Amino acid sequence: MKRNPLKVLFGSMIAAVLLGGFVTQAVAETTALTIWHAYRGAEKAAFERVIASYNKRAKGVEVTTLAVPYDAYADKITAAVPRGKGPDVFIFAQDRLGGWIEGGATVEPIDFYLDEQTRNQFLPSMLSAMTYRGTVYGLPLNYKSITLIYNKKLVPTPPKTSGELVKIAKGLTNAAVGKFGLAYAYNDYYYHAALQNAFGGRAFDPGPKPALNARENIAAMQLLLKWMGKDAIVPAEPSTALITSLFNQGKAAMVFSGPWFLGEIAPEIDYGLAVLPTIDEAGGQPMRPWVTIEGVYVSASSQHKEVAYDLAKYLVSEEAGLVLAVEGRQLPSNKAVYTHKEVSEDKVLSAFRRQLDTAIPMPNFAEMTVMWSPATTAMNTIVRGAAPPEVALEKAQRSVEKDIAALRKGR
Amino acid sequence: MRLRAHLTQPVAVGLLLAALAGVLLSAWFLAQAQDAVLAERQEREVMMQGMAFAELVAALETAEPDSGAARIAALTSAWAARFPEIVTLRVVRSADARLLASTDARDAPPFPRRLAREEKPLYDLGQELRANVETNLAEGVFRKKQIDVVRLDQTHLRVAAPYSVAGNVVGFVQIEQRVAAPVPPSAAGKAALLIAMPLALFLFGTWFLPRRTDAGRPWVHYGIALLLLGVTLYGQARIGLGELGTREEGYAAELAQHYSSILREFQTAASAHGIAVEPVRENRWDVDEYQRPRLLITGDGSLDRAVFAKETGARHDRLRNALWGNAALSALLLSFVALGYARRLRLTLIEHRSAYAYVAPAIIGMLVLVFYPFAYGVALSFTDTTLFNENLPLGELWVGMKNYLAILGDFQVLRSTEGGWVVNYQNFYWTLFITVAWTVCNVTIGVGVGLLLALALNTKGLRFTNVYRVLLILPWAIPNYITALTWRGMFHKQYGVINQIIQMFGGEPVSWFDDVFTSFLTGIATNGWLSFPFMMVVILGGLQSIPQDAYEAARVEGASRWQQFRHITLPYLRPTLIPAVILSVVWTFNMFNIIYLVSGGEPAGSNEILITQAYKIAFEKYQYGYAAAYSVVIFMILLVYGVFQNRVTRATEAIT
Amino acid sequence: MKRATSDQKQHVLLHLVLISFTLLAIYPILWVLTLAFSGGQSLVVVDLPAEPGFLDRVRSVLPWPETVSLKNFADVLIDEPFGRWLFNSAIVAGATTLLGVFLACTAAYAFSRFRFPGRRTGMMMFLVSQMFPGTLMMVPLFIIIVKWLHLGNTYLGLVLVYAVTSIPFCVWMLKGYFDTIPIEIEESAIMDGASPATIFFRIILPLAKPAVAVTALFSFMTGWNEFILASIFMEEETAYTAPVGLRFFVGGFSAQWGYFAAGSIIVSLPVVALFYYLQKYLIAGLTAGGVKG
Repeated sequence: MKRNPLKVLFGSMIAAVLLGGFVTQAVAETTALTIWHAYRGAEKAAFERVIASYNKRAKGVEVTTLAVPYDAYADKITAAVPRGKGPDVFIFAQDRLGGWIEGGATVEPIDFYLDEQTRNQFLPSMLSAMTYRGTVYGLPLNYKSITLIYNKKLVPTPPKTSGELVKIAKGLTNAAVGKFGLAYAYNDYYYHAALQNAFGGRAFDPGPKPALNARENIAAMQLLLKWMGKDAIVPAEPSTALITSLFNQGKAAMVFSGPWFLGEIAPEIDYGLAVLPTIDEAGGQPMRPWVTIEGVYVSASSQHKEVAYDLAKYLVSEEAGLVLAVEGRQLPSNKAVYTHKEVSEDKVLSAFRRQLDTAIPMPNFAEMTVMWSPATTAMNTIVRGAAPPEVALEKAQRSVEKDIAALRKGR
Repeated sequence: MRLRAHLTQPVAVGLLLAALAGVLLSAWFLAQAQDAVLAERQEREVMMQGMAFAELVAALETAEPDSGAARIAALTSAWAARFPEIVTLRVVRSADARLLASTDARDAPPFPRRLAREEKPLYDLGQELRANVETNLAEGVFRKKQIDVVRLDQTHLRVAAPYSVAGNVVGFVQIEQRVAAPVPPSAAGKAALLIAMPLALFLFGTWFLPRRTDAGRPWVHYGIALLLLGVTLYGQARIGLGELGTREEGYAAELAQHYSSILREFQTAASAHGIAVEPVRENRWDVDEYQRPRLLITGDGSLDRAVFAKETGARHDRLRNALWGNAALSALLLSFVALGYARRLRLTLIEHRSAYAYVAPAIIGMLVLVFYPFAYGVALSFTDTTLFNENLPLGELWVGMKNYLAILGDFQVLRSTEGGWVVNYQNFYWTLFITVAWTVCNVTIGVGVGLLLALALNTKGLRFTNVYRVLLILPWAIPNYITALTWRGMFHKQYGVINQIIQMFGGEPVSWFDDVFTSFLTGIATNGWLSFPFMMVVILGGLQSIPQDAYEAARVEGASRWQQFRHITLPYLRPTLIPAVILSVVWTFNMFNIIYLVSGGEPAGSNEILITQAYKIAFEKYQYGYAAAYSVVIFMILLVYGVFQNRVTRATEAIT
Repeated sequence: MKRATSDQKQHVLLHLVLISFTLLAIYPILWVLTLAFSGGQSLVVVDLPAEPGFLDRVRSVLPWPETVSLKNFADVLIDEPFGRWLFNSAIVAGATTLLGVFLACTAAYAFSRFRFPGRRTGMMMFLVSQMFPGTLMMVPLFIIIVKWLHLGNTYLGLVLVYAVTSIPFCVWMLKGYFDTIPIEIEESAIMDGASPATIFFRIILPLAKPAVAVTALFSFMTGWNEFILASIFMEEETAYTAPVGLRFFVGGFSAQWGYFAAGSIIVSLPVVALFYYLQKYLIAGLTAGGVKG
């Protein structure tokens, strides 16, 4: 662990000045803060280290962490915070942000605290994921996106274009013995979005207006159908568990997946990472995966919002980011982290950093939740061959429009 | 002795209780309505102020975007000076977090200045109003409040109204104003009257009614009491509504007067500060919280009677409904006591107190933890609550039976397209059909297999039964999340073992999740596998209640195995088996996990059951009210089933 | 003599039926075991030649780990405070069982032996309480337990909810069983001057052991496997129950199925142990003599 001593000193000075305002009131008693997260394993260990170092430096503040299983996380926030319970700070991806803001009394706007310096410390598009209707509600902590993960033994040089991808994959596919050149959860809208966005497709037209039936979305589906049908380079019914199994046994040479996948790879597999290929059929545009960005939010029911913001700010600092990246194997949103050698020379971290250049943030509208189910149904219908893309997508579009209209009712 | 008999006359006691409850509740409703009318008048007054002042500020800011601050400060203090009821007046430009002017002594000058850290709420309010205005504009509906109204305490209101420059909301004006506290009209006299009326009725009841009593005419007394109660409540309502009407008239006149003075000041201030304002033709300041004009007061300050009638009419209708409901409840209470039900209830409670004491703890626990959420769900089902409006009171979102009609009244199960008839899988009746099929299949498998295994395991002298028993309950013991996903994997088209076995015997692999029927089978297989151990254990328990000598006697008489099963085993099993069957029908009907994890409702949502559908509506579509109605429909279906099943089994209970 | 051979023949048949169902019951679980003991996070897909023969297919459907490793178990138990979570679960499920069975026994006894107005309604109410779908109950339950009763982060809060959830089945099951116990036994006890409490605890309960065993197992399972309420009510990691801890391994994008499988097996062991203990009350002919009186 190498740290720039000057930066640390400077950072702590800023923190001290910021803290000054409330330290005067908090000398007598310590301010107890609670922060919720959904990490485990190495991510959790690194996160707890960061919190420990914050506790050491911030006098009069005692932060306790609570890990909550992902499956219960959103429900726990939704049940607790609007009723004045729950944490002071919590961490979650931006896809729930819009819903919490529309529901109200959950996420505290932090626009007011945000200074220029903090605004500028993030990688591009990170802060936009934390912004809802022109107001910033959180500080971006980490990001995740899919990229190309390949078995080095089978694929010496990763493909740069979709043409190369299909060519390499075809050579490695033998469906009869269950071997495939490429495997990814293509029937999952999240994974498919990379292909859709390459064509300039989208889930929403600017603003929360659904655009599932866009012409570009149909074109992306047609390419997927070609990969499945004519090229036959992908397995049927690709559940994530199956993809892991196939990759671990060398039965899938290439996979589109994210950092979470790396923990599931068997130790004997030598894998490499590369940027997702460009799509010849989309005029050479790169595949653009959706990025999910974990934000640090101040709870609307917190009794110590300023201290909570100070903690949030520390979590997204360069110092904390370095720990999260090196020890937690996460991808911090603070751009200064990537200037450090131990990050820039790390093949995994730098590969995901490169992928970010073509990635776009997943929409944070509340309406996004409405879209998942119809989109998944459409995807499955298309993949099954039960309906052509334009028909299935049109149907999904109408269903989403109806559901959104039911939400946006005038008084 | 005679006095006591009079005083405990059921009709008289009932009349006293009902009249007390009815009169007090009516009085409360009327007082609430009066307070609401006053509060609304006050809010409108301050909102008009805010709107007018915001217009002046906007005009100034538009004219001089940068150097206008000093003039805004001057305007602010001048405006505040003109209206003595204004406590503080603030102008905040939230676009760049600036406090442009304030008459609050606690706000440190000089102005303009950046908002201080502790003034964050002001900035957030500005951002919220801006976002609300933009949202309403973008979506073309009014769902977000554009004016913020807060009642600080009984005598203070705070209103914030946004102002825009060049079509963008850049800030807001905030007025804190003193208002009159609601005056309880002649509190002591009214209270005395409220108590006196029921008492008078009571005395009348106790002395007058019994004297004419003869055994055959309790209904006459009851009728008289009902009539007296009705007349009292009606009279009270008439007086109260009349009073309310008078107040409304007065308030409307005050409001019009207030508008005129605001208009005057507006024009004075505009000319004094050299502000170019649009001429006032229509009243654009008397608006609701969504900034839609209410048109009660015309531009020249006179009252529009038609709008007035409409506004007050709606309120009176609501109040009248509440009073009718109250009268009905009072009548019910009267009937309950007068016709002797209360007495009977009391006697029953005393007579069976030990039985009730045994049952009470379990019942109370249930009432607290089950029936409150249930009542909440039912209330929700009559509203159109969604994620976007869940902060509004349920009363404002009331839609009556609309959700139920939407669910039950949609018979579009089949749709004709060019390709022929297609099933609409989202339709309630299709989902109901799948749910019933799902439940029947699962419970049949569970009970059938469970019974078979329990009977086998209950064979006397059979060896290794303890090993079988432990192995057979494993599907129940292991968390079903992992086993459900294992089953899902087993149904995979290429790698799943089930297709491997089919191919082993020369069959063709099946795409299990691509077809409505095969996908249905995957769920049945998984859930059947999960549910038979429970049934087996229940039946094993039930089998222990069968006296062995019954079988011996049967054997002596030469009964066959089947006859023994039919005439001894089944009747003895019934008391334990039937509740288990009823409950497992209920549980299977609402079995969420397996559908969700195994088939996911594929293909195209055709294998959803009602509960997964309700879940999707609530947590993926955020339509809480509609989902609640769905849940209530599920509940009603199960309730009908339960009552029916209970009827059938009631006969069996008599046997044992 | 003749009787014995016919019994034996029948036993062979019964063994055949039982063995086939047992195989069916444990087959998916063998896959879970295979995954848990593989030491990895993914199931092994068997290599099949292009034209697989019958034996190749057989090999592919037999759950058998290529390597056996305890790594998943060790990681689950060491990396996470899993022991602590199991302990919490044991307390919560145990208390749920005691409270649930006790409340259910008293209520069921009254329903079975007393005739009082509201009896049918009461029974029906227990049934009805199971009918309202739980999906919308989460927030109201949070309000009751955490906001009103201040039982957030306590065992008691969970125990109350679980006990009330399990009571309806227990009441119906026990009531049904009590009904089969002849009333004459009690009548003779009353003649002998026994108090109601004595009759209930000394006579009725021992006779109803099989039903009590079933309801106890059911109550235990209710408290043992519940996930969502436990994760919502608890506010410290050391207060979580085992199902909550288990869910850390899946959810979101990542899913460590190897850990999850190992954890699931650990979680199911106490249930199996409890059942092993309780099954002696489910053995043919144990209580039948008692009923005869």
